Amino acid sequence: MKQNTALVAALRQAVGDNFVLDRLEDRICYSFDATFKDGLPDVVVKPASSAEVAAVVKIANDYGVPVTPRGAATGLSGGAVPLQGGISLVLTRLNQIIRIDAANRVAVVETGVVTENLVNAVNRAGLFYPPDPASAKTSTIGGNIAECAGGPRGVKYGITRDYVLGLEVVLPNGEIIHTGNGVDSEMAGPDWTMLLVGSEGTLGIVTKIWLRLVEKPAAKQTLLSIFSSIDDAATTVSKLMASGTIPTTLEIMDNLTIRAVEEYLHIGLPVTAEAILLIEVDGSAAAVAKQSLHVAEVCRQCGAGDVKIAATPEEMEQLWKARRAISPACGKINPTKISEDATVPRSQIPAMVRKVKEIADKHRLKMVIFGHAGDGNLHPNILTNKHDTAEMERVDAAVAELFRAALELGGTLSGEHGIGYMKAPFLKWETGETGFDAGKKVKAAVDPDGLMNPGKLFDVQQ
Amino acid sequence: MESSKEAWQQQLVKCIRCGTCRSVCPVFQAVDNENTTARGKVKMIEAVSEGKLELTPELQERMGKCLLCKACATGCPSGVKTDELFLSARQALVEKNGLPLLKKLAFTGLTYRKLFDTGLRLGAVFQDIMFKDAPGGRGKQARFPLPGAGLNARRIIPPLAPTPLRRQLPAINPVEKPQARVAFFAGCMLNYIYPQAGRAIVDLLRINGVEVVIPPGQCCCGTPAFTSGDYETGRYLAAKNIEALEPGGYDAVITGCASCGAALKHEYGQILEDGLLKDRWRKLTEKVFDISQFLVKLDYRRHLRSLPLKVTYHDPCHLVRGMNVAKEPRELLKAVPGLEFLEMKDANRCCGAGGTFSMVYYDLSRQINDQKLDNAAATGAAVLATGCSACRMHINDGLQQRGGSLQVMHTAELLAQACGIPQEVVK
Repeated sequence: MKQNTALVAALRQAVGDNFVLDRLEDRICYSFDATFKDGLPDVVVKPASSAEVAAVVKIANDYGVPVTPRGAATGLSGGAVPLQGGISLVLTRLNQIIRIDAANRVAVVETGVVTENLVNAVNRAGLFYPPDPASAKTSTIGGNIAECAGGPRGVKYGITRDYVLGLEVVLPNGEIIHTGNGVDSEMAGPDWTMLLVGSEGTLGIVTKIWLRLVEKPAAKQTLLSIFSSIDDAATTVSKLMASGTIPTTLEIMDNLTIRAVEEYLHIGLPVTAEAILLIEVDGSAAAVAKQSLHVAEVCRQCGAGDVKIAATPEEMEQLWKARRAISPACGKINPTKISEDATVPRSQIPAMVRKVKEIADKHRLKMVIFGHAGDGNLHPNILTNKHDTAEMERVDAAVAELFRAALELGGTLSGEHGIGYMKAPFLKWETGETGFDAGKKVKAAVDPDGLMNPGKLFDVQQ
Repeated sequence: MESSKEAWQQQLVKCIRCGTCRSVCPVFQAVDNENTTARGKVKMIEAVSEGKLELTPELQERMGKCLLCKACATGCPSGVKTDELFLSARQALVEKNGLPLLKKLAFTGLTYRKLFDTGLRLGAVFQDIMFKDAPGGRGKQARFPLPGAGLNARRIIPPLAPTPLRRQLPAINPVEKPQARVAFFAGCMLNYIYPQAGRAIVDLLRINGVEVVIPPGQCCCGTPAFTSGDYETGRYLAAKNIEALEPGGYDAVITGCASCGAALKHEYGQILEDGLLKDRWRKLTEKVFDISQFLVKLDYRRHLRSLPLKVTYHDPCHLVRGMNVAKEPRELLKAVPGLEFLEMKDANRCCGAGGTFSMVYYDLSRQINDQKLDNAAATGAAVLATGCSACRMHINDGLQQRGGSLQVMHTAELLAQACGIPQEVVK
């Protein structure tokens, strides 16, 4: 306790009284993210600059307490949960968009900038920042980098990783380094930036970011394809990608999802369809027209009963409204929604869809399938109730089987949510013993005392 | 307490902690502290229900730092009824820790209708001792800070009306060949502070062939009490109002105040215990309409004359989210010939008043209000119309603090003006 009092005093000295919270009420508010496990921090600290972040990390070293950095804590794998207590380091005060350099197509931002604020600012500058995680209204760029967030547009534009040019990072010993650069991300020696993207604050704390921007597409078009067989829909995804048209987004919704959304919105979705694909293409007006026709043709060849092309911006908006309504619509069915993130190569989507249905049946679970089919990121969601202990045990078993299935099909544990504490126990399945061991060694070299975000990624009790 | 814990459970389990509330909460966006977000408060309530946290005064303070603007409830992807949950938590906290003395006195005052009335009328006479006219004529400013009453010396509050609305008008305001007969629930602010808006409502109804009765037994709707967690006073006032409005076989009960309307139509449902009174209230709710909802159903257009004004509209929380009224006032304003309607950015975002919130957290509520004023100013409108006296007071105070030529009016006043009904000009 005495130790804690001295720690709190040192932190107050470093960032100011108002930015250190140690009352139980407030610590509870920083004990969770969008996953289910909690970890109560001993103290919450909100630095305002990279220098203050560095000071906090040095204090953590002095006192030997763990540091769990966080942005908006909207993550879905548990990266921001202070599993072992210590300091919850809140980065949202570092929220300045420092520069949008239209000539060089680079944005320089602090780590706590809300993703949507960046997207809007870039838009106003006439450019485009494509990554669009579902939580963009709330999530921070730093969090997107830590978890390597994606989004529907990943099919064509890639994910957060593909836009990071350089980073300013506070290392676990409190020193500050720069990786990459603000021009072309080239650097002398290995690509440290890529090592840090997706490292979830286990190797250091990202405080400033140089991001690559791209040209804004002139036009876009949305199509809705209706399938009486989910296998046909899944086949369409791999056929379409192989046939030359790369859509901006390619989203799948299975029958249970369609019915839930229709029940919720009443917008005339085809409730008897086994699956629908929501497809967007973008580019120049001429390219968009050509691509739309091509997409429609491929869908029909693969067995789509009906293909609708949105005629107006309002119709386009209506279709996307259905996609965005999935979460609340499913919330009406069961209170707890466990969103999984296992991802397979596009060509394996039909096999993965069958596997997911098998696992749901086997464990008697309500599972909906929707997600970014275009990049193999299916998001099977289990609808359950976290207070139903017996069912939650079946959920755990099903989740493990989902991961196993994805890996067997040549996929990965995480499409865009990261590993956090939730998937850490399964990480070895993907990396293998040797790969896992290498990961642990990198971690030990950079953070010998293991103070940075313990309990995540390679730091897992097996 | 146990029963409220059960009701809490149903809502708590629904929260998926996604953090969407961070993007809509005006308080969070101003202070950047997770203890003000809906998910943070949900988590604190969960800790209480699991025995990990006591109903501490510090928790009470955190639950109080909320505008009850319902933005989190409307924006929640999982449909957590955060507004009801937080109200219920406030009630449990008041049960445990009591109310601050001044709130206790004030709410007791509300229950003595005659005493309350006399007090405020005397207040109108003696207010010059404590308050002086603010420069610019927007209202009164305290001569010295009155922190106990939550008044900041800078804060501009409107003067109390020399004669309250219900003393200006008879209980029955007849028309020839009435096509409907309605009860008008005036509420405190239209009665004591903005009687001209109350008169506009009565006049608009009458020129449209509606007989208006102002039932004498009505008193405060109870919102300030029950939103502070004092359900007992809230219930007492609800019962009085149900008794005043129920007899008489009115075709409708008309409100001109967003908070009174939301209380009568929905929120009594949370404070009243199951039983006969609640059943009676439920029947009454079908008849409760905001003046804008009722007017659009009448042939109001035939009275409208040209009124060349640039007008913007602010959605009061308790109208847009409390009563689901947003399109009606816009329809009325857009129907006025010559009137140019200018939609402001984030029109439905809270103005920062939040009832007693603005008394306890004056600086914060000003900070939230500044955004509203910026958005309103950006439209270039000369008039801001709204349907809530509390919003009006708070926006006016902001204009006084920062300067600005915008005039704030009740939607009904603007409409009465367009109908050629003579009016007092009051800011």
